[in-house]
Amino acid sequence: MPYEALLVAVLALPFAGSFLAALFRANARNAESWLAGGVALASLALAGAAYPLMAEGGIARYSAAWVPGLGLEFVIRMDGLAWAMTMLIAGIGFLVVLYARYYMSPADPVPRFFSFLLAFMGSMFGIVLSGNLIQLVFFWELTSLFSFLLIGYWHQTAQAREGARMALIVTSAGGLCLFAGVLLLGHMAGSYDLDHVLAAGDAIRSHRLYVPALILVLLGALTKSAQFPFHFWLPHAMAAPTPVSAYLHSATMVKAGVFLLVRLWPAMGGTHEWLWLVGSAGLVTFILGAFLAVFQQDLKGLLAHSTISHLGLITLLIGLDSPLGQVAAIFHIMNHATFKASLFMAAGIIDHETGTRDIRRLSGLWRFMPITGTLAMVAAAAMAGVPLLNGFLSKEMFFAETIEIHDGSPVDRALPYVVTAASMFTVAYSLRFIRDVFFGPPPTGLPRTPHEPPTLMRLPAEVLVLACLVVGIVPGYTVGPILETAVRSVLGAAVPEYSLAVWHGFTPELLMSAFAMAGGIAVYFLLRSWLLVCEGPPLFRHINGRRIFDRVLVTLSWRLARRLEEIFGSRRLQPQLRLLAAVALLAALAPFYMQDLVPRSMARPELDAAFALVWAVGIACALGAAWQAKFHRLAALILLGGAGLATCITFVWLSAPDLALTQLVVETVTTVLLLLGLRWLPKRLEEISPPARIRWYRGSDFAFALASGAGLAALAYAAMTRPSPDSIADFFVENAYTKGGGTNVVNVILVDFRGFDTFGEITVLGAVALTVYALLRRFRPAPESVPVPEQQRVQDIDDDAHPDRKKGDTVRSAMAVPGLIMRLLFPVIAVVAVYLLLRGHDLPGGGFVAGVTMAVAFILQYMARGTTWVEDRLRILPVRWMATGLLLAGGTGLGAWLFAKPFLTSSFSYLEIPLIGEIPMASALLFDLGVFALVVGATVLILIALAHQSVRSRRAPRSREAEATTLAPMAELR
Amino acid sequence: MTALADHLIIAPVVLPLLAGAAMLAFGGDGRRRVSSAINVTSTLALAGIALALLLACDASPAGMLGVYRLGDWPAPFAIVLVADRLSTLMLLLTSLLATAAVVFSLARWHRAGAHFHSLFQFLLTGLNGTFLTGDLFNLFVFFELLLAASYGLALHGSGPARVRAGLHYVVVNLAASLLFLIGVSLIYGVSGTLNMADLAARIPAIRPEDRALLETGAGLLGIAFLVKAGMWPLCLWLPATYAAASPPVASVFAILTKVGAYVVLRLWLLLFGDGAGSSAQLGSDWLLVGGLATVAFGAICTLASQDMPRLAASSVLVSSGTVLAATGMAQVDITGGVLFYMVSSTLGIGALFLLIELIERGREPGADVIAVTREVYGEDFDSEGEVEVVGLVVPATMGMLGIAFIGCGLVIAGLPPLSGFIAKVALLGAALSPPAASEGASVPVASWVLLIVVIVSGLAALIAITRAGIRTFWASPDRVVPDVQLVEVAPVAALLLLCVIQTTHAGPIMRFMESAAQSLHAPGDYVRGVLGTPVLPRAPQGSGR
Repeated sequence: MPYEALLVAVLALPFAGSFLAALFRANARNAESWLAGGVALASLALAGAAYPLMAEGGIARYSAAWVPGLGLEFVIRMDGLAWAMTMLIAGIGFLVVLYARYYMSPADPVPRFFSFLLAFMGSMFGIVLSGNLIQLVFFWELTSLFSFLLIGYWHQTAQAREGARMALIVTSAGGLCLFAGVLLLGHMAGSYDLDHVLAAGDAIRSHRLYVPALILVLLGALTKSAQFPFHFWLPHAMAAPTPVSAYLHSATMVKAGVFLLVRLWPAMGGTHEWLWLVGSAGLVTFILGAFLAVFQQDLKGLLAHSTISHLGLITLLIGLDSPLGQVAAIFHIMNHATFKASLFMAAGIIDHETGTRDIRRLSGLWRFMPITGTLAMVAAAAMAGVPLLNGFLSKEMFFAETIEIHDGSPVDRALPYVVTAASMFTVAYSLRFIRDVFFGPPPTGLPRTPHEPPTLMRLPAEVLVLACLVVGIVPGYTVGPILETAVRSVLGAAVPEYSLAVWHGFTPELLMSAFAMAGGIAVYFLLRSWLLVCEGPPLFRHINGRRIFDRVLVTLSWRLARRLEEIFGSRRLQPQLRLLAAVALLAALAPFYMQDLVPRSMARPELDAAFALVWAVGIACALGAAWQAKFHRLAALILLGGAGLATCITFVWLSAPDLALTQLVVETVTTVLLLLGLRWLPKRLEEISPPARIRWYRGSDFAFALASGAGLAALAYAAMTRPSPDSIADFFVENAYTKGGGTNVVNVILVDFRGFDTFGEITVLGAVALTVYALLRRFRPAPESVPVPEQQRVQDIDDDAHPDRKKGDTVRSAMAVPGLIMRLLFPVIAVVAVYLLLRGHDLPGGGFVAGVTMAVAFILQYMARGTTWVEDRLRILPVRWMATGLLLAGGTGLGAWLFAKPFLTSSFSYLEIPLIGEIPMASALLFDLGVFALVVGATVLILIALAHQSVRSRRAPRSREAEATTLAPMAELR
Repeated sequence: MTALADHLIIAPVVLPLLAGAAMLAFGGDGRRRVSSAINVTSTLALAGIALALLLACDASPAGMLGVYRLGDWPAPFAIVLVADRLSTLMLLLTSLLATAAVVFSLARWHRAGAHFHSLFQFLLTGLNGTFLTGDLFNLFVFFELLLAASYGLALHGSGPARVRAGLHYVVVNLAASLLFLIGVSLIYGVSGTLNMADLAARIPAIRPEDRALLETGAGLLGIAFLVKAGMWPLCLWLPATYAAASPPVASVFAILTKVGAYVVLRLWLLLFGDGAGSSAQLGSDWLLVGGLATVAFGAICTLASQDMPRLAASSVLVSSGTVLAATGMAQVDITGGVLFYMVSSTLGIGALFLLIELIERGREPGADVIAVTREVYGEDFDSEGEVEVVGLVVPATMGMLGIAFIGCGLVIAGLPPLSGFIAKVALLGAALSPPAASEGASVPVASWVLLIVVIVSGLAALIAITRAGIRTFWASPDRVVPDVQLVEVAPVAALLLLCVIQTTHAGPIMRFMESAAQSLHAPGDYVRGVLGTPVLPRAPQGSGR
């Protein structure tokens, strides 16, 4: 289908052009203009080629699957309305590009400008050509984004930044509302497809969600079209380069909102809510915009407010909810685009050639730029609604429409009078634009001497003004068919009778026009002298949209957010832990609250006196540890060891020798490592009487701890005293020997049944060791912990006092005997470790216990003779040990692949060794050896990291260079 | 279990583990080039494996590639690894993010501390194991592994801010691990099994008097995951930790919160789906409310963030809150949408973390604080002298960074044209069409709240991102152009490109997500796939058959 290709081309061209434009050199003004102009012209031509189909009332449609799961199709759909809008966007786009070529300074980096402009044009095409509402929202937000970038083109000025940000936030927020509204529409209509939605008008209007959906869609449309009360962003968007303003505020951006209203009118219009919501927004905006425009001193500010006002007029027409109203609205969308674009261009020329846009400073420009003046006059006359110009025609239709009775309310009845009065202001500001700028005495003190612009810069405005004239004089031959095409696509069969004739006879609307004209001239001359000195519009002088917006934004998005973050968050650790405990308590208790714990006869465990005593000691130790933890860490640590031993005895008591053994060695090693770390913790002194607040915190912490502990104990008791369910444990017990080849079930589980867990856990240990090492390597102790401890100082003083002793002799002599024993113990412990490793599969022991035992041997050496002594004689490479362990364990696991078995499948057999005899060999032993190596490596790495701390900080107290050298021994620990 | 291809399921666990060990064996930090090479190779290979697994899963009839029984022991006694759509999706997401992060780190960050590469691979091991395992205790092990490695990585680069935030992270997560262990023990004590599928089969038959204990166990387990997922009020450690972490680490951490979300999705739907007897939908309201509160809190933090790293970290909260809340809705369509959302937001946030460091590189420290203060106390609009109104040439570097920043912002705020928007359409569209989508079926209140919260949080993100972007890109024209290398920009670009692909190929990707969601909500295939034939008698269903 040629039309399909045409649609794709229209939509794709601007984006492709945008991408290309971004690649040009910064000063490639001509090349950029050719590219952008070419794209715009090509789009225009392509769209023009679709006219025959459009004139027949056909719809061109291209669809491609996008997200079928969500009912989303990528649909490009062109009907009459979309076609007319496309022509408008492309046509004015071309003229704006031409204009921009001369407007932009040679120093302006144009690639960015044209790239954004083309992307914006593409997004606008996207909106009008969307055949799917989600897709429409998609492009809608894109226009917000690109308009933001265009408005902020001169981002080094605060005005541009603020204006861009305001436009983005207001229109995007509206876009999000529109998104929600479209989701609701899709929900109501059962599809996001535009044709479906338009056909489901009755279902939508009668749906319960109609009003919320309408409000959301309107929020989107009204923010985009700068309707009251969201109109304030538009004047600030004037910080953009004038070509951007000319484009955004005549044919595109702001027209997207009213386009959407017209588009959705068949589906959502025709209700009381529509009439009142849309109509009143339009009416208020129309009046307010016109009123404010009169009092602007900036040419672009005046045009901006007049844009707001004219969009209000269009919105009011759409809101009046009649077919004729839609016709007038569409007609005025076109007319406003032509005259407003040319006016913006004229304003830009004036700014460009005189260096100012301040109406108070400008005057008498006619003698310097008569052609520009003529163009501006004609366009302004069209804006005011002077006969024989296009603005007059749509204004007449508008007046005629306001006279009609809609719902008969007082507002409806007063409407003709109100709009006539408001139109006086329209005439007044149009007059002001011309008279104050082009007539009067010659200007004085302008930054530049005014003169006519280059011919080509004027050309776009000339074309547009010509269009205003031609349409105004012979509407039936020019705009008639186009309007007819657009209107028919919206209204379908219900196209009302309308006439585009210039002369309808003496009608009420002609009278209204006359009144508006006369009144406007009167208003202008009454206010004239005052306008030149006034400081903003009366009544509204102190209501500054920007300031309110900023205030609200800062208050909501900054001050309030900060406050709420403080209330609902915390950056301190203690409250977080308290919260965690509280939530966990809640989660644990809730099920018992929801469904009563059914009491059951629990077997009362028999209590042995000796066992109870062990537990009494253990509990006492634990309580003592908690009691002393804050100020007497050493005591707390020792008590903690006591509690650990009680646990250890418990395991033995309950016939879990493996657990007991593990617990014992782990307890030992962790206690030693913690003791080593204790040295570096700053001393805490107990306050005599802590403040009440702190006491309260401690009290509540205590309560939490108590509740958590008691809860956990209760849970454990409940879990352990109920009959155990059919458990997978039985399988392990039954198969440990027959299939796992070991009589120690625990070990078989660890290295075989659940060897994968062990594999993971040793990696955890390795990662922890690496973390500790990495952390301690950069560790700087608290200043008060740096000096040598008191004990050592006393010893040193003592050593110094005796001439025959060297520093450290006291320690050396005190440690001489224990040190010797410890050294001798090294091979013994090593043998024990190997023994534990080898017997693990059948008797209590195993790689983990063996590894920790081996580490104990190393720890003893360090303790006996100090770091330096040990490392001078013994080169331990803990990281290599770890690597070996992991690779060995992993390699054992991988070995199974050779036998086409899954990872970690073990096998065992009996190995005949001479002298010793037949011994069982399981592949799991290799795995266990890996565990052993890793545990040794990891534990020793942590130990060394701690040990080096004292070497380092004593040798190099807080100097950077010195530290670098002392890092060297650490670097060897690979 | 014969062909080498069968072992592909376990490769995502074994490969990084051995790679990490090999680096240590080759000399660790002493030979960083070797480590870097191994790290990049392994991560890339993981991405390839993950993609192969994902495609294979999608092509297999039940959406499950297979069950890997470790040690050749039968389920439910052995540990099993299960590759289905969700787990392979997570594998792929992880490896893609990891590839970007590791390449990024090669420029400078991997030199900032010890054993970065090994810890990185161990983190991947933990992550992949978590996603693949079908065993509750094994899940704990891999959870611990990823946490242990993440402790090291969070502290990577050192410095007071990192150590402070990192230690908070360590302490909170250790406490959560304790809860995890208690929860697992309770569940095992009541049900007698650790295999997830077996557990799902046994839960309907749990005696009523044991149910409270079971639910307590599940609750504690849930808290542990929710800490990881960053649910308010258990998430207060998160913004500081993520903001302080070194950029490549923070980027990978974007997936860590999703681990919590993943486990919730997996376990909760498996164990407490509609077939769980009286425990069905246990805690769904809490999940929903907590998730919504998290989104709200995240949005507040986003707005209140004074600098970009914290902004990105707060977006993590918004993202995981959305996932949790949507999971709590327990509807197939929403779950499908939220999977799409999860992928998109994780990629976007991951890219943002990397990008921020590049942007901030040329700036004075503390510039943001001053800028914010000036904004709040009224930057005088017109006082700013006459600035020459001629456009500035944006240096190519800044231009690229700017485009990337806009891209990340769009993904995170959920605006077109990138995947964040499609994700929101999927999520909210599904929320508005409840399963009983008959005429006049009313939309539940929860859906409305979700709609409002998600849209408002998107606006908050937009405002915050715009503020930060204008401040850094526009308001400081004379800033130093950062010295950025190709290996640093390329990962960001690649992640964003993935978001673009997710938009253009949204159709097939969405279909995949929907299939994944369907299997999650109907875990029968999963249970049958793991257990083969039921090993233990099921609950008597009342019928006499």
